[in-house]
Amino acid sequence: MVVRTYDEELKYIERISDCCWRIKKGFQPNMNVEGCFYVNKKLEALMFEELRNSCRPGQTGGFLPGVKQIANVAALPGIVGKSIGLPDIHSGYGFAIGNMAAFDMDNPESVVSPGGVGFDINCGVRLLRTNLFEKDVQDVKEDLAQSLFDHIPVGVGSKGIIPMNAKDLEEALEMGMDWSLREGYVWAEDKEHCEEYGRMLNADASKVSMRAKKRGLPQLGTLGAGNHYAEIQIVDEIYDKRSASKMGINETGQVCVMIHSGSRGLGHQVATDALVQMEKAMKRDKIEVNDRQLACARINSQEGQDYLSSMAAAANYAWVNRSSMTFLTRQAFAKLFKQSPDDLDMHVIYDVSHNIAKIENHMVDGKEKKLLVHRKGSTRAFPPHHPLIPVDYQLTGQPVLVGGTMGTCSYILTGTESGMKETFGSTCHGAGRALSRAKSRRNIDYTQVLDKMKEMGIAIRVASPKLVMEEAPESYKDVTDVVNTCHEAGISAKCVKLRPIAVIKG
Amino acid sequence: MMKNKLIALDHPSPDSVNHNDRLNFASTVLWLEDQKIRQYKIEDRENLRQVNNLQVWEPAYAKYKKDLGMRSLSTPQAELAWLLGYAVKLEYCDNTEEYNHFSSSNLEGTSFKPKIKPDNFFDNMDFQSREFISVVSKLANPLKVPQHYDHLKQLEAVHRIIEERLSPAALQKDIVDGQPFPFEKGNDVVSEDPDLDYPIRILRLLQIQSLRELQTKINETIVSVQNLTANPKTDTKLGKVGF
Repeated sequence: MVVRTYDEELKYIERISDCCWRIKKGFQPNMNVEGCFYVNKKLEALMFEELRNSCRPGQTGGFLPGVKQIANVAALPGIVGKSIGLPDIHSGYGFAIGNMAAFDMDNPESVVSPGGVGFDINCGVRLLRTNLFEKDVQDVKEDLAQSLFDHIPVGVGSKGIIPMNAKDLEEALEMGMDWSLREGYVWAEDKEHCEEYGRMLNADASKVSMRAKKRGLPQLGTLGAGNHYAEIQIVDEIYDKRSASKMGINETGQVCVMIHSGSRGLGHQVATDALVQMEKAMKRDKIEVNDRQLACARINSQEGQDYLSSMAAAANYAWVNRSSMTFLTRQAFAKLFKQSPDDLDMHVIYDVSHNIAKIENHMVDGKEKKLLVHRKGSTRAFPPHHPLIPVDYQLTGQPVLVGGTMGTCSYILTGTESGMKETFGSTCHGAGRALSRAKSRRNIDYTQVLDKMKEMGIAIRVASPKLVMEEAPESYKDVTDVVNTCHEAGISAKCVKLRPIAVIKG
Repeated sequence: MMKNKLIALDHPSPDSVNHNDRLNFASTVLWLEDQKIRQYKIEDRENLRQVNNLQVWEPAYAKYKKDLGMRSLSTPQAELAWLLGYAVKLEYCDNTEEYNHFSSSNLEGTSFKPKIKPDNFFDNMDFQSREFISVVSKLANPLKVPQHYDHLKQLEAVHRIIEERLSPAALQKDIVDGQPFPFEKGNDVVSEDPDLDYPIRILRLLQIQSLRELQTKINETIVSVQNLTANPKTDTKLGKVGF
């Protein structure tokens, strides 16, 4: 690989609008398409600093900087349009987190890459509304947090309280949310307000390894650790009254519950298994990539198809997981407020996926094409009237749930027409890391973090306080910057802002 | 249906015809041409006869389809269905006299269908009578349903308004309070042509309304199945908080 100075590198990066930059071909070898990324002034500084640091002599180890990763993805076979970095982008395994890339299904060379989906397959966010207001919960928020903490097991090695056997798991992997429906854990309306209706039809449980199933079985209905959380949030500001009211959010002060979780150990194992298979497939099919972490296989190869089937099964697991936690949340609220979840109007507003690859139709150079869209740390954001979004959101566009970090606010955005054209209907997914986990452990003390939460009036329950600083707001980019960039760039529109009053975390 | 047609055409083994087996498919096509369709003279059927040599047969079949004027169909099943329909039509045309007296009226008396007694007076109504048409029009006026050349369409519109606004069920619905949102404004781009924008928005709203009805029916179905299958369980003894 060519070694260039920072100033030489900058020649390949060009501003095209206030918050969008182009990465020209040649920045990394063999780029098939250009790259681009969306950042505002503040995020821009972080982005370029990362690149500058990596250009210093003697810098080795760790992930490549985000811009380099975007460019490496642009060199994958079969990619169309652009390799796109969303405002919350930060380096990850192979693909940066916050990178989306689409591959032409009709091109036999096109690839699918587990690195482009991520290890926590179908990690996502679900938002429930209630008809409660801040004044109803302010005095009981400690009890609420405790009640949620008791119902939803959290942390590394936690086990769920919904009894499951191996047969249940097989069925859940194939059926996704339909399993939760059949067993009576969720409401029919929940399915309606979930991406893909909570079920990937191409799921094949037999393609999921025994090891993955073993890891997944006891973990169903658990939140997990890392950046996952359940939060009780208050509607803080409404930017788009009409769209918000379509979601059942009519006034500020309304109470919502956000659940951020994924496919736990099962998804991780599915990804790990696939990477091993794909390295073999790459050797056989002579697929060359710029970065070893970008292991991939042709979509039509056995390995590619196996991965898509097992990924779909893991995605189904994640939906069942979030559905189980929805059930447990409703129970916790019902017990505390002595009203049924129905009377509390605890409907699912929407459920989005952050880490997933899906087959979608998009316009490329004026022609409709079938694409395999990889979204890693990126949320689908389809515009109004798109046939794949629920009927209730046909006029508003798809709700996009953007979870902040512990103690910061979260947002609901809506999908836009220009996002459909520019970013294949994709937008940001959260705040995005600014400091690596290790760095934040060194720089921040966990007691400070917990005290700060208390100061802000946020009830908090954590399984592992010592890991809390990894998730401290200081370790992340400012979610408001991220969301504002998406809004300014027009790739999605701001609708509602939420702030937390109680958090439970792994 | 395909089997019925094969029986009607006196195919020797209607049960064994399998459109997914290319050899079987080819022989069926050949049988149809030999026995029923007779598009080509016997000596011209030579290539079509090579059912055991698909390399010769396939191009012959492609030509055959073209000669018959078959439109392009996506599956062998659809093609076979077309060929059978064509053969039946030829058979019928050869002997219209004989077949014409087969009609449903012959089956009357032997029919298993329960007879419906016309005790509902709508059954005896003449929907095309002048009187009927004028009443529909009278009904439409106070409801502000625009005139339509097809009075039955107009009646449908009248029905819809009564059902959605005036029926007891509709009257019992809570009135939605709050400010109505002007539907010509929204996040959606509809059409750059202002003359098209308004009607397209109306059509879209109607489409959304019927989708909503469909989705509600789906939800109701799911709920009724849930009544049979649902049995959510939790066991707090299984729970374990991690570290």
